[in-house]
Amino acid sequence: MKILVVEDEKELSQSICDYLASEQFMCEQAFDYRTALEKISLYDYACVILDITLPDGSGLDLLKDLKKEDKLDGVIIVSAKNAVDDKVIGLKAGADDYLTKPFHLMELGARVDAIIRRKAFDGKNILRFDALQLDLNQKELTVKDKKIELTKKEYELLLYFISNKNKVIAKNAIAVHLWGDNFDIADNYDFIYTHIKNLRKKLLQGGAADYIKSVYGMGYKFSLPA
Amino acid sequence: MKLFARYNRINLVANIVIFLVASVAFYFSIRYVLIHQIDEDLQIEEDEITAFVHEHNHLPESFSVSDQVIYFTPVSQPVQRTFSTVEMMEKEDRKKEAYRRLVFGINTTAQNYEAVVSKSLEGTDGLLRSILRVSIITILVILLVAAVLNRILLKRLWQPFYASLKAVQNFRPSRTDSLPLSSTNIDEFNAMNETLTAITKRSRLEYLSLKTFSENASHEIQTPIAIVRSKLDLLIQDEALTESQSKTLQSAYNAVEKLSRLNGSLLLLAKIENKQFEEMQRIDLKEKLREKLEDFQELWQGKNITVETDLGSAVVNMNVELGDILLNNLLSNAANHNYNGGSIWIALSNDCLCIGNTSNEAKLDEEEMFQRFYKPSTGNASNGLGLSLIQQIAEASGFHVRYRFQEQHHEFEIRFHPPTK
Repeated sequence: MKILVVEDEKELSQSICDYLASEQFMCEQAFDYRTALEKISLYDYACVILDITLPDGSGLDLLKDLKKEDKLDGVIIVSAKNAVDDKVIGLKAGADDYLTKPFHLMELGARVDAIIRRKAFDGKNILRFDALQLDLNQKELTVKDKKIELTKKEYELLLYFISNKNKVIAKNAIAVHLWGDNFDIADNYDFIYTHIKNLRKKLLQGGAADYIKSVYGMGYKFSLPA
Repeated sequence: MKLFARYNRINLVANIVIFLVASVAFYFSIRYVLIHQIDEDLQIEEDEITAFVHEHNHLPESFSVSDQVIYFTPVSQPVQRTFSTVEMMEKEDRKKEAYRRLVFGINTTAQNYEAVVSKSLEGTDGLLRSILRVSIITILVILLVAAVLNRILLKRLWQPFYASLKAVQNFRPSRTDSLPLSSTNIDEFNAMNETLTAITKRSRLEYLSLKTFSENASHEIQTPIAIVRSKLDLLIQDEALTESQSKTLQSAYNAVEKLSRLNGSLLLLAKIENKQFEEMQRIDLKEKLREKLEDFQELWQGKNITVETDLGSAVVNMNVELGDILLNNLLSNAANHNYNGGSIWIALSNDCLCIGNTSNEAKLDEEEMFQRFYKPSTGNASNGLGLSLIQQIAEASGFHVRYRFQEQHHEFEIRFHPPTK
């Protein structure tokens, strides 16, 4: 599967590609409108990450071109503007999601994952990870045919982990994902620990392995135990 | 004191002093003239008596007419001719009365006499009194008329001044484009208005350029922050990181987080000022607040903060995003400036929202608390923009923020309908 990153800021574009590139994804970059237009007309992408302000055009125009050609690509708009209008216009023009700079790569990862999943499953929406089975419509978790009750936050946390599996997720990124960007939280991220602890306990009690690994108090990694 | 009250006071005192002095001088000069007149009358009498004695060589019969008394006394010594003013008893009603008297010597061949001619001053005094009465009334009328006239005239003359003053008082560099100053036909006021227009225009321009600068700065800072954050996100993926490296990374993370939040707040302030949140909507604050509290209580668990709520229903008209940010800020503040084991109380009613908290921090400076980067205590995590945001959002939504402090209890009150002045 291929992902296209249309972003004029080369360093940021590189970071996104470095993070998303894996055995599952191939990441391509376009730094301007013209190159991006060329690429989207030549190839099909699973997902396009689109910056609105490009040196030689608007990302919104690119989005319109994409829709005109009736491509199936999922589009995530990234913008430094954080203007509600931009968001509304972008989503109306057919974008699947909108993310404001500066964002955590983990957040982008989760959004990309969600879009690709949505396109691939055609709405059937069952997500599997090892013994875990997540029903995305019902927002339910089943482990070995047993339903496990999760709180809303625990469910979101688990989904976020699975979308960023095998990656170290910073505590800051988790906080922003679960509580939003506007929370003026002091330097202390202890409250995240409570949720992680509870989630891990429930998974273990349900008979799953211990997937959540703490990384030096800096963040957490969700992966199959070695 | 108002200018013309002061002017009137000085004017009045000066006028009264001048009129008093003038009245006294007037009194004495008229009195002098009148007495001089009487003295002349007395002299005429003297001349007549002298002429009579010359002709007949005996004294005329002593006679007294209405206000004139003449009598003669034989004397041995020659008499010094003198004018004097005396008090005399009047025969009929035994009342003392002032008389002007001329004493002179007169000789027949047989005897020296002292002649005394007295003329009553009653008529003169009456005249004097009525003259004074008329002049004092005139003075009073003049003073009164002058005061009233000054008042009306000055008020009218100063009208342009007050108009300009009012315009300047209402001037806000963030809102007013230009001062509505009307031109007058008085040079001083025109000069003042020109200066005021120039000053306000300059401050408006400076404000605009400062605003553009901070907006641009914030926008430009967004991208580097995004890059730093993304690089940190990549860096922590490194399996070979040691624990101390991780700690260093965490510090960098937190700092970037802070910077990002700070910059976000600055951008938000700029946007509110640019009126980019004009879209209003009816919001059920009670529902919204309950949702928020659920989220926040998770964050507050570690601090052992007790929360008391008294939520009545309240529906307000405001921008949804701003409403969200407003509640976030109020609730964050209440917890961030609290101490372990403290409490927060929240009361919502139809026309106001009160959020209070316990805190070890001193009373906030009411003059400066809404300024950007106002930090009463150093060393806490706040970026000093929270209160500024609260104030700006309240203003943009037509609300009114009040702050109360009592014995380590800080309380903010958001009035949805600003008090009518």
